[in-house]
Amino acid sequence: MMDLSEPTMDYSNLRRQITFMKKSFFDQGYLDEQFNQLEELQDESSPNFVEEVVALFLKDSPRLLSNIEQTIGKYPQDFYRLDSLVHQLKGSGSSIGAVRMKNECSVFKAHCNDRNLEGCRRSLQKMKREHATLKQKLESYFQLLRQVGPREHAVNSRK
Amino acid sequence: MASSLRALLVEDTAVQRMVVSAMLRNQFHCEMTLAKNGKEAVDMFLEGNTFDIVFCDRDMPIMTGPEAVVKIRAMGATDVKIVGLSDDDNAMEAFISAGADDFVPKPVRPETLGPMIQEVINKKLEQSATLA
Repeated sequence: MMDLSEPTMDYSNLRRQITFMKKSFFDQGYLDEQFNQLEELQDESSPNFVEEVVALFLKDSPRLLSNIEQTIGKYPQDFYRLDSLVHQLKGSGSSIGAVRMKNECSVFKAHCNDRNLEGCRRSLQKMKREHATLKQKLESYFQLLRQVGPREHAVNSRK
Repeated sequence: MASSLRALLVEDTAVQRMVVSAMLRNQFHCEMTLAKNGKEAVDMFLEGNTFDIVFCDRDMPIMTGPEAVVKIRAMGATDVKIVGLSDDDNAMEAFISAGADDFVPKPVRPETLGPMIQEVINKKLEQSATLA
């Protein structure tokens, strides 16, 4: 006799994994309430909205990080430009709820304000690490979400 | 809340533009127009476009939010509600001095936008009733 419960069990397991993964992002301080706000904007007319916004952030932010790194390497130092670049990164990160990125951007801005180049360098390295970790976590999360299907995207957004 | 307000969002960062415009469109049913900096916003007014409400970031290339607000008001667009946006609370003074009506801190939340949207809707209804 065919085991009709097996696909259901896999689906339930996937849903549990997704819920647990998302909770861990909040518990470990990677994401904040703003991420939930993004999910509130997801509906049947834009079922992949959250993934699209995050994809845009993950596409834009390496460019900003690279520009910051190049600007740090220039002489004379241009703290005004550095502040402007990190301001954009902070704004984008805040918009998706990337709280660790946002906080490290604030640290970087404080170093700019103090004209502390070494502080900026250290902070940039932290931002790059945080970015890499966040990218890996979110890509895994959306990969799981895709496995449960588009309908689940809209349903899951209300949890 | 159904509004069909014509909203202009002036924001240089693509991610923020995407999030805030989705909020205004999906949750408040605004008809959205987007500008990437203050100059694009000013050009839209110069081209004769009209809006019920403008949401404007402060720090943008080419022309900042407060600079754009000064020029928009100087054109005679005194009826449109202009709301400044920034993660810096000190930006409120710059926006209000420039002629903006209100200020919303970033990240933008629907609960702060709602009353402003409703105020503009109410004003439009009053104006329609007066003309009728």
